[in-house]
Amino acid sequence: MTQEELFKIAEKWFREQGWKPFPFQKKTWKAFLGGKNGLLNAPTGSGKTYALWFPIVLHYINQNPSYRTSHKKGLKAVWITPLRALSQEIRQSAERIIKDLDLPLTVGIRTGDTSTKERSQQRKTMPDLLITTPESLQLLLATKGYDKMFKDCNAIVVDEWHELLGTKRGVQMELALSRIKTLSANLRIWGISATIGNLEEARQVLLGPESLAFQNSVLIRAELNKKIHVISIIPAEIETFPWRGHLGLRLLDRVIPIIKKSKTTLLFTNTRSQCEIWFQKILEKYPELAGEMAMHHGSINKDTRIWVEEAIRNEELKAVVCTSSLDLGVDFAPVETVIQIGGPKGVARFMQRAGRSGHRPGKESVIYFLPTHAIELVEASALQQAVVKQAVEDRMPYLNSFDVLVQYLTTLAVSDGFIPAEIYREIKSSFCYQGITMDEWRWLLNFIVLGSQSLQTYDEYKKVEIADDGRFVVHNRGVAMRHRFQIGTIVGDANLTVRYQKGGYIGSIEEYFISKLTPGDVFTFAGRNLEFIRIKEMQALVRNSNKKTSKVPSWMGGRLTLSAQMSQLLREELYSARLHPDQQSDSIRALAPIFERQERESLVPGPDELLIETFKTSDGYHHIFYPFEGRFVHEAMGSLLGYRISLLSPITFSLAFNDYGFELLSDKEIDIQAVIDNDLFSTSYMLEDLQKSLNSTEMARRKFRDIAVISGMVFTGYPKKGVKMKHLQSSSQLLFEVFRDFEPDNLLFLQAFRETFEHQLEEGRLRLALERISRQEIVWKACKNPTPFSFPIITDRLREKLSSEKLADRIKRMTALLMK
Amino acid sequence: MTSQRIFISDQHLDLHPSGVVYWEEEKVLLISDVHLGKVTHFRKYGAAVPQEAILKNFEVLQDVIAFYQPNTICFLGDLFHSSLNREWQLFENWVRETSAKIILIAGNHDIISPLKYENLGISLVPELLFGPFLLTHYPEERTGLFNLSGHIHPAVKLNGKGRQSLRLPCFFKNKHQMILPAFGAFTGTHVLNRKGEDEVYAIADAMVIKV
Repeated sequence: MTQEELFKIAEKWFREQGWKPFPFQKKTWKAFLGGKNGLLNAPTGSGKTYALWFPIVLHYINQNPSYRTSHKKGLKAVWITPLRALSQEIRQSAERIIKDLDLPLTVGIRTGDTSTKERSQQRKTMPDLLITTPESLQLLLATKGYDKMFKDCNAIVVDEWHELLGTKRGVQMELALSRIKTLSANLRIWGISATIGNLEEARQVLLGPESLAFQNSVLIRAELNKKIHVISIIPAEIETFPWRGHLGLRLLDRVIPIIKKSKTTLLFTNTRSQCEIWFQKILEKYPELAGEMAMHHGSINKDTRIWVEEAIRNEELKAVVCTSSLDLGVDFAPVETVIQIGGPKGVARFMQRAGRSGHRPGKESVIYFLPTHAIELVEASALQQAVVKQAVEDRMPYLNSFDVLVQYLTTLAVSDGFIPAEIYREIKSSFCYQGITMDEWRWLLNFIVLGSQSLQTYDEYKKVEIADDGRFVVHNRGVAMRHRFQIGTIVGDANLTVRYQKGGYIGSIEEYFISKLTPGDVFTFAGRNLEFIRIKEMQALVRNSNKKTSKVPSWMGGRLTLSAQMSQLLREELYSARLHPDQQSDSIRALAPIFERQERESLVPGPDELLIETFKTSDGYHHIFYPFEGRFVHEAMGSLLGYRISLLSPITFSLAFNDYGFELLSDKEIDIQAVIDNDLFSTSYMLEDLQKSLNSTEMARRKFRDIAVISGMVFTGYPKKGVKMKHLQSSSQLLFEVFRDFEPDNLLFLQAFRETFEHQLEEGRLRLALERISRQEIVWKACKNPTPFSFPIITDRLREKLSSEKLADRIKRMTALLMK
Repeated sequence: MTSQRIFISDQHLDLHPSGVVYWEEEKVLLISDVHLGKVTHFRKYGAAVPQEAILKNFEVLQDVIAFYQPNTICFLGDLFHSSLNREWQLFENWVRETSAKIILIAGNHDIISPLKYENLGISLVPELLFGPFLLTHYPEERTGLFNLSGHIHPAVKLNGKGRQSLRLPCFFKNKHQMILPAFGAFTGTHVLNRKGEDEVYAIADAMVIKV
C-alpha cells in the first residue's frame, strides 16, 4: 500500500469519530511510516496517543497485507509510560483503533500490577502491542531468551519522556534502548515530551548523541498555542497577611466562589499533607460541598484514585484537591478552572497544570495562583511573565550513573549473560555513558565479579561470574531472585501501608511520620481521622476516630526549587518594587505595605545590590543573604560561604534556605565586614571549597542511599513481604561510612559526591550566581528585628549544619547550655 | 586517645574511646557488640562492603589489648554477627595469639555453635556475676548489683544554641547500670534520651567526654 492509501484509513477513522487530525499528527504518521525516529513535543491531552498508535497500526497493515488470513504472533511495538496508572487509558485508545479497523492485534499491559499468571502467559506469547513501564522493561531484559522476544519489535514509544529525562529511570530507558537497537533490525524509536527548555537535547538522550538512530530522526512540535490566563488571588488586607507559611488557608474563602462558578475545579497543592489539610478545611467550613468534592494524591489507594478520575470525567465533582498525581494522564474535559496553591516551583509544571482546564477547542485555560505568604506574591507576578515568555525549565540528564549501569549489567548477567565488548559498544553510544573510560568500565566489571578490584583471600563475595565462554553470568539463584526484586525499587522513604485493623487498605504513608506517633494518637489521612493502633510488619493498623487532630502526615514533596529562568523573572519582579505603581503588576502593587516596612527596617534591593541582614534573637545570631536564586543554589552558596567564613575563625552554623535567600545561624556573631573585605563570594577555588564544606558530605550521604540501593549494595527486602527496610536505612548510612574510611576511591562512592555537585548544588548555576554577585554592591543592614523578607527563612526548620570547630569544644559549650 | 576513669561500687573502670571498658582491679577488658563476620555476610549476599573494615576490628582489638594488658577479655554479646563464615578463621588466629582468658556472654546474634567456642578455649555463658558487677548482653536491673551490658549501641544527641545538634556514640550510665557502645567498625547506633540522673560519656575525636 502507498502512504496515501494508509493515510486514508486513518483519516476515515478520524472522520467517523467526528474529528479532524491535527497537522502534528499527520506529520508524525508520515515520519514514522518513512522509517524515521523522532521526538514529538505535544502536551497532555492533545491527541498525542493517536499520533503514534496510528502509524504503528498502519505499518503493521502495510507489512502484513494478508493479515486477515495469516497473523504472525509476537511483540510488534512497546509503549513505555512512566506511570502505570496511565496504562489503562493508553490501552483503551489502542484497542479502539484495532476494534474499529477490525485488526487481529492484541494489546497487553505489563507493570507491577500485572498478575503472575498473566506474566507467565505473556512470556509464552507476547501481545502484539505491549504497554509497560521502564522498570518492567528492565525485568523483561532479566528474562531468559529476551533477545527472541524483541527480534520482530519495530517500534518503541516512550511517553512522557520529559518526566523520565532528568531521572535515573530515564537512564534505565537509555540502556534498554541501547540493547534493543541491537536486537531488532528494523526499529523505530519515538519519544513524546511536554515542552521543556532542552527539547533538542531530549531527543539526543533518547536516541544516542551520535548514533545512526539520531541522524535518522526528526523533532515534531504540536504548536497548539493554547492561551493561558493567569489570575493572582490577592489578599484584601496585605498588612495582616502572613509573612510566612506554606498552607495558604487564609485565602480559603476566596476559593469557594471560584469553585461554585465553574463546572469542575482542580486545586493543585504542592505536598500531600497540604492536600489533606485543604480538603478537610474546605469541608469544615463549607459542608455543603460534601459529596461534590474529592481528594487525589499518590498515597491514596488505587481504586479510590480511579473512582475520582472517573467522577471527574462524568462531571460528578465540583472540586478535586490534588497534588502532582493529576499532572499527567488523559483529559478531563469538564475541568474549567485550575487553582494553584503556593508556588508551583516550575514554569513547565505550572503551564501543564493550567492546561488541565478548558480543553474544549477555542477555550482558554484559566489558572488562579493562590499565594501562601506575602512574598510569594512576587512569585505570582513572575509566573505571569514566565507563562507569556514560555520560559520553561531544562531537565538535566544524568551522566555516568554507574549505579544504574551496575544494575543493568547484573540484569543482563541474570538472563542470558553478556559479552563485555559487545555491551561496551552499546552503552558507549548512549548519552549517559558517552564519556565512560576503559578504566571505569574495567573497574565496573571487577566490581560486579569480585566486589572489589582484586581477588582477596577469605573473600566470599558472590554475584556475577565469568563462564568458560567469556560470558558474564549469574549462576546463583538467590542472587538472581534478589536482583529481580531490586529492579524497579523506586527509592524513597520507607512506606508503610495503612490498614484498618478489621481489614481494608487505605493507602501508604512514610515510615518517618508513623514513627513519631504513639498508639492512641489521631491523625488525618485520605480525608479521614484515624486512630493509630500499632505497627504490624510493614503495616500501620488504624481505626476511625471522631477526635479532632492537627496531625497530618508530611511528605518530602515539599522540597522543590526554582529554575534559573524563573529565578531571574522573580528578581526582575522584585526589582520592580522600586518602580512607579503604574509600571508594576497587581501583585507587586498589592505588596506595597510590605515593601514599605522592609524598606524602613532594612532595604528592598535593586538589580545592583546584594542584601545582607543581621540581627539577634533568642535562637542566636542570624545572618541572612538574599541572592534570589532558588533553593538549591542557596544551599550551595550557603555551604560555600559558611565554609569560607569558618576559615576566618572556628565557628559552627546551621544553614537554612528557601527560594529567596539563605541564613547562617550561629551562637557567635559573624563579622560581615570581614566577609565583604575578604571577597568571600569569589568564584576562585569554588569547587575545591565546596568539596571541603562539611555539609557536602552530608548531602552526598543522602545521595549515596539511592546509589547503594540501585547498585544492589543494600537489599530493600521483598515487596509486600515488608521486611528489612529499617535494615537498609541504617546500613546505607553505615556503608557510606565504611566506604569513606576504607575505600574512598570507589566509583559508586565518588558518584554520590558528583551527583551532589551536578544535581543538588547545581555547580554551574552557582558559578553564574557568584559572577552576578561580583558585579553587585553588597549592602549590609544591621537590623533590630526580623524583617518581612527574613521571616520565611528564619522560621524554616529544615537545617544543615556546618562547623570548623573541634568537636570537644562544641561539646563543652553544649554541655554548658544543658547545665544552665 | 583520652579515656575517662570512673569509680563504681568501689571499683575503677576506665572508659576508652574505642568503646571498651577496662576494670582495673580485676584486669578485665569488657567489649561489646563487635559483630565480626558482618562484612563477609553482606558480601556473601552480593553487597560489596569494603573488606578493609574486617581488618579494622582486629587492629583496634590488638591496640587496646597491648595498651591495657588484661588478664581476662569478656565480650558482652554479639561477638559474631551471623552464621559461620570465613571471618571465623581470622578470629581463630586472633584467639591463638591472645594470652588472656576469653569469656563470651551470648547475645542475640551469637548463633554459632558453643562447641566452636569451647574448642578455642572460650567459655560461653548466658550472664556472669563478677564481684559487684552483673555482666549481660541485654541491659538489666537486679537488686544489689551493678549491670554492665551492650546490645543497644547507644548514642547521644546533643543540642546547642543556633539550633546545632550532634550525634555521638556513648557509654550510657545510670544508678544501676552502664551500657557500652558498639565496638564493631560496621555497626550502627541508636539514640537514647537521657533522664534525670543518667550520666553520658560521649566518644568524639578519640576522646571520651562526659556530657
